[in-house]
Amino acid sequence: MTTLTRQDLNFGQVVADILCEFLEVAIHLILYVREVYPSGIFQKRKKYNVPVQMSCHPELNQYIQDTLHCVKPLIEKNDAEKVAVVIMDKEHHPVERFVFEISQPPLLSISADTLLSHVEQLLRAFILKISVCDAILNNNPPGCSFTVLVHTRDAATRNMEKVQVIKDFPWIVADEQEVHMQEPRLIPLKTMTSDIVKMQLYVEERAQKT
Amino acid sequence: MDELYLDNIDEYVNDQDKIVTYKWLSLTLGVHVNTAKQMLFHYLDHKRKESSAQLHATYLVSGKFVDNGQTSHKVSVIKEDQLEDFKSKMSLIVSVHVYSVQKALLKDSGPLYSVDYDAVKDNLKNCSRYSAIRCASAVPMSPVELQQTREVQRAPTPEPENRKPGVNGEASRASKPSAKPQKGIMGMFANKSAPKNQDSGKDVKAEQKEEAPVVDAPKSKPEAKANPMMNFFGSQAAKKAEQTVKQEEAAQSSTSAEQQRQTSKPEEKRVAAAAAVELPKDAKKDSRSKTKRLVDSDSEEEKMDKKKRRRIKKPEPDSSDEDVIPDSPQRMETREPSPSPKKVQPVSHSNQGNSEMKMRKRRRVLKSRTFLDDDGCIVTEKDYESESYSEAEDDVHAAKQTPKDPVPAKLPSSTKQDEKRSQKRTSANANKGTKQASIMGFFQKK
Repeated sequence: MTTLTRQDLNFGQVVADILCEFLEVAIHLILYVREVYPSGIFQKRKKYNVPVQMSCHPELNQYIQDTLHCVKPLIEKNDAEKVAVVIMDKEHHPVERFVFEISQPPLLSISADTLLSHVEQLLRAFILKISVCDAILNNNPPGCSFTVLVHTRDAATRNMEKVQVIKDFPWIVADEQEVHMQEPRLIPLKTMTSDIVKMQLYVEERAQKT
Repeated sequence: MDELYLDNIDEYVNDQDKIVTYKWLSLTLGVHVNTAKQMLFHYLDHKRKESSAQLHATYLVSGKFVDNGQTSHKVSVIKEDQLEDFKSKMSLIVSVHVYSVQKALLKDSGPLYSVDYDAVKDNLKNCSRYSAIRCASAVPMSPVELQQTREVQRAPTPEPENRKPGVNGEASRASKPSAKPQKGIMGMFANKSAPKNQDSGKDVKAEQKEEAPVVDAPKSKPEAKANPMMNFFGSQAAKKAEQTVKQEEAAQSSTSAEQQRQTSKPEEKRVAAAAAVELPKDAKKDSRSKTKRLVDSDSEEEKMDKKKRRRIKKPEPDSSDEDVIPDSPQRMETREPSPSPKKVQPVSHSNQGNSEMKMRKRRRVLKSRTFLDDDGCIVTEKDYESESYSEAEDDVHAAKQTPKDPVPAKLPSSTKQDEKRSQKRTSANANKGTKQASIMGFFQKK
């Protein structure tokens, strides 16, 4: 039984890595299920021992990876409160929002589950839930695009602006227009609690989509 | 009481938005799979009559399929809208039943696998408790038999692929209606599992706790062509399916205590895993040893070729100048075999080697002698002469010859060389007789 604090950066990095991997798979899956991009670019791959759909388009993949690369330091320091995948229509008004609320306990302790197989099981459940979410959501209008918003605690963004994590990939403060959704409907999808992270996934949907 | 299950399924499907597969249902409610299938069917029927919520269903269709004159047994999971179409294509339908019920329209079959994954993982030891697949003759092997099968499986590689499903999957094979359809599925898995043997074998070892449901193995079959990743699942699932079935039979048919069963199960798993891992290893080993042998013989043959090539090359430098007989370092290798080929091979092949660096050997050397003939012309003649050289002499020769004037000097030096050579001939002969014959004899046999 080891108890590690946040100062033990290695463990924090491990958690951040796990979460970023999961977020990458989740984003790809959301794009597939909500038909943001044609299903032809997606290819079945394996994650957590189950099949998932990942895109093959190099620029899309690079964009998602760069995004998460910048998010990772925030997660390490537990500055990221929410990571939201926002699907917008042609006028750049948000239509749907998949919000991952992430919180990490201040004292990370590795208990019996050193292989994190329980965490894997929970993440698998998340993936499954995303796959079937189109039952509860209305269809999106055609021509949608997506973006990723990160809600941070305190003033972590100031640090981000100072230090550009990836060159030519700047993060800017989001417009009010992109954040505000008219008449959102909240649909919770899944919650997980584990030793290393607590995560909640819910969907905010605009009442009228078209 | 009997109607409670309808409410249960309703709760799962509508309230919790789950995908309810028959396998998951049977494990959750603790009923036999056939009962679960019927439950799902009744539920679907009931809901359709009420026409309240929109439900989607997938079906499992199993039957004979004729493809270009070849009949095979096909097991597929079909979406409801494609059901009739698919049924019409089959020549004989063995079974059709509801596979799953869900609210969402599934775009692909991935979630179907995920749904059963955790349920089976939790019920690992008795996930086939409610299964309809049985084989009375499947009995856990004793350690002696285990040893025997391991040794037998070290047989050549084509066999094990057929045998592996046989060893592990006897149970499932016996339960299928006919042998041929089984071959169709198993043959396909065997073929696919061949390249993936190692991977799946390793995974079987590492993930002994995780198993895929039996039905998912056939499910992956129609998608197998489209997707190599699902092939991986297919082969892995097949292997695990066979394992689970075998375990199931072992559990059911053995009359011994729980302990024995449990020890035999890991044994079976180990057998399967060991078999899977050993087979590729052995195949590799065999091929490696074969290539080794080949390499050895190749290198020997190469040497021979080199020697031959060098011998043929030799005339060129010699033809230019007798004195400048290159101290061929490359001659070193050819030294040893050279004497006997001289004897056996025709003159054209023999070498013109001059320098024998280390050992005293007899050689036929193409030497060009220049001399004054009757007319007073300087004539250069090439001739093969047996000569024996040692390193010291060679160096001396080279030292002697190079500074001299080419034409007149050659005469005396060449004659000297000839005398030396002739003197040494006898001794060289003797040398040759004792030493080299045996080695060259070895090469000659090749």
